Amino acid sequence: MHEPETLGDVLAKRGVSRRGFLKYCATLASLMALPPSVAAQMADKLTRATRQSVIYLSFQECTGCLESLSRTHSPTLEGLLFDLISLDYQETLLAAAGHAAEEARANAMRANSGKFVLMVDGAIPLKDGGVYSTIAGRTNIEILKEAVPHAAAVIAVGTCSSFGGLPHANPNPTGAVSVGTLMEKGLIERKPLINVSGCPPIPVVISGVVAHFLTLGTLPELDGYGRPKVFFGDTIHDRCYRRPFYDQGKFAKTFDDEGARNGWCLYELGCKGPTTYNACATAKWNGGVSFPIESGHGCLGCSEPDFWDAGSFYAPLPAPRAPLSAAAGAAIAVGVAAGAAVGLAGLYKRKKAQQAHTKLTVDDLETEKKP
Amino acid sequence: MSLRDIAVRVEASPASRIGGIRPILHEIRTLLAALIDTGRGGSIDLRSLPLSPADFEALDAALGEGEVRATIRALGETRVTETAIHGVWRVTHCNDGGEAVADLIEVCDAPEILKTHAADARVGLAKLRTRLEPG
Amino acid sequence: MTGVELLNWARGPGLQIALVVFIVGVAIRFIEMWLLGKSPDFAEARGSAAAGGWRTLFTRSLPMPGALKRAPLVFLGGYVFHIGFFITFLFYAPHILFLRAVTGFSWPALPAYLIDVIGLVSIAALVAVLVHRLTDPVRRFLSRTGDYVAWAATFLPLLTGYFAYHRLVTDYTTMLALHVLSFELLLVLIPLTKLMHTFTFAVSRWYNGAIAGRKGVKV
Repeated sequence: MHEPETLGDVLAKRGVSRRGFLKYCATLASLMALPPSVAAQMADKLTRATRQSVIYLSFQECTGCLESLSRTHSPTLEGLLFDLISLDYQETLLAAAGHAAEEARANAMRANSGKFVLMVDGAIPLKDGGVYSTIAGRTNIEILKEAVPHAAAVIAVGTCSSFGGLPHANPNPTGAVSVGTLMEKGLIERKPLINVSGCPPIPVVISGVVAHFLTLGTLPELDGYGRPKVFFGDTIHDRCYRRPFYDQGKFAKTFDDEGARNGWCLYELGCKGPTTYNACATAKWNGGVSFPIESGHGCLGCSEPDFWDAGSFYAPLPAPRAPLSAAAGAAIAVGVAAGAAVGLAGLYKRKKAQQAHTKLTVDDLETEKKP
Repeated sequence: MSLRDIAVRVEASPASRIGGIRPILHEIRTLLAALIDTGRGGSIDLRSLPLSPADFEALDAALGEGEVRATIRALGETRVTETAIHGVWRVTHCNDGGEAVADLIEVCDAPEILKTHAADARVGLAKLRTRLEPG
Repeated sequence: MTGVELLNWARGPGLQIALVVFIVGVAIRFIEMWLLGKSPDFAEARGSAAAGGWRTLFTRSLPMPGALKRAPLVFLGGYVFHIGFFITFLFYAPHILFLRAVTGFSWPALPAYLIDVIGLVSIAALVAVLVHRLTDPVRRFLSRTGDYVAWAATFLPLLTGYFAYHRLVTDYTTMLALHVLSFELLLVLIPLTKLMHTFTFAVSRWYNGAIAGRKGVKV
């Protein structure tokens, strides 16, 4: 076997100078909320690391996550992610097809067994034996069962593989579940799992996780949902530049009123920023141009479990998820009927008590004295 | 074609001023004092702070423009400018679409990214050697 | 169950169940009281019952003279937490959005930091009245489980709301879910406990004056 190439070699071949790489690390450090001074050390360590082998499996997904990751042309800043990793298998990007592609996966898995990072994109259907999503005649769960034991760690890319996402949304016709659920149920082997949620996730969050793995050799600290805390530690709301308007009670009431033009808080227009943990407000999108709120639209909460089932995207967070009028109407009817029944029963009881009541007479008192 | 070609500009409405720049100026003052005393400054990541476009403008106005302006072309442009406050630098990393991806204030003698790294110097030396080779 | 699942349940089926129990319960209690009525009064009226009723409805809501001296803690704590509770409930922007979604009405909100202070003061007042209830031998003797349940049901929405606002104890989503659930618990308990006084206070205050008013007596 030949000497593994270091990242520094790869970068040199690509004509990326140390300045360029330092710049990349500065943006990564900024994202990971590390002090900017760390960038130089990070750059140094990364250039000496070997590229991380990655196998990327796609299940019930829309390829939006991959679009997000591979959006830019190399060699750009964001494109450097593909220099950090050696993407050994990804169906959509693979030139080969059919048996050749299947063979490529088997080869990559064998060559890097125990060392590769498995990226999973999309939910896994379990209903009816998992027949609702198959590749080369094999169900997603079968493929995953085979791949997971050989992986060093699993990164669930996107909300579908992290929490079930759209396929899992009510009524979940295919019985779709997340990678984490499969591990909990014991359907696949337990391995270190990182959920990088988002619909799609922010591309640099992926590179951040990989960079963390390469520089420190460990997985980043995770929150209660298995997401890296450095990126998912704060809510959108807490990091939002419009937050002060929330505190001052200045809200846009429609998408084109004075408040909207002044850039006031979008809470009343259904922004789910307060309950959404993600890095959009700091990492931003489209190469740092803006993020939904900066573009005038509330947060949908796409990095949270079951965000599809959280009611309308345009209903404010405190609003009930479903209209209450039917339930309230029925309750009033039932309440009136039940109240009448209880009241009438009370009246009847009182009447009976009155009827059963006999007045005490002098005779009664006399008889009591007698014995 | 990049996003810069779209003829829509963000206008900072005065009503979107949040007024968060005073704490930043105070932090810069602390860092600058540390640079003078210990030789170690520091940097502030502006992207991690909730600042509106109007706040960015206010910050730029407060710091002013100084003597040095440099452009680095490595994976897109990086603009390095010294502000009117000596020792306080604005470093803006852009991608090759020209969009800012990181925005830092560095308090130092000269930002790290301006310096030539030893590895790059070695590449330069090798290049020069090949050019000097007779042939 | 995750925080989001809990919040989705609380904002969906949980809210529906709580609202139904609340409406049915309050309706039963009111209609029952109304049907039972009171015995007819055959005496000739010497004054207006309605005028007396309306007057006491108002006057009995004002502080009783001398009450501040006699029981300062109960007096201050009682007023502070009642008023504080209603200000936080009715004038915090997200609550107004909830009430708008349910009733269709909305009104201007108070700034969040003001609500924050009022909420904290209300929590302190509730703790003070509980400590007083536990330490004062007479109040302790008179207290039943229902009284403590009613206290907790009032206290929890304030406490969870405060925690959620300040991102304390657990993540915001879970705390928000607990906050909504505590409100739903309060809704359910109103018709089942002494908390029914939320509505019946007006009826009883009216009757106090109405009975006296009919007899031509001013109280």
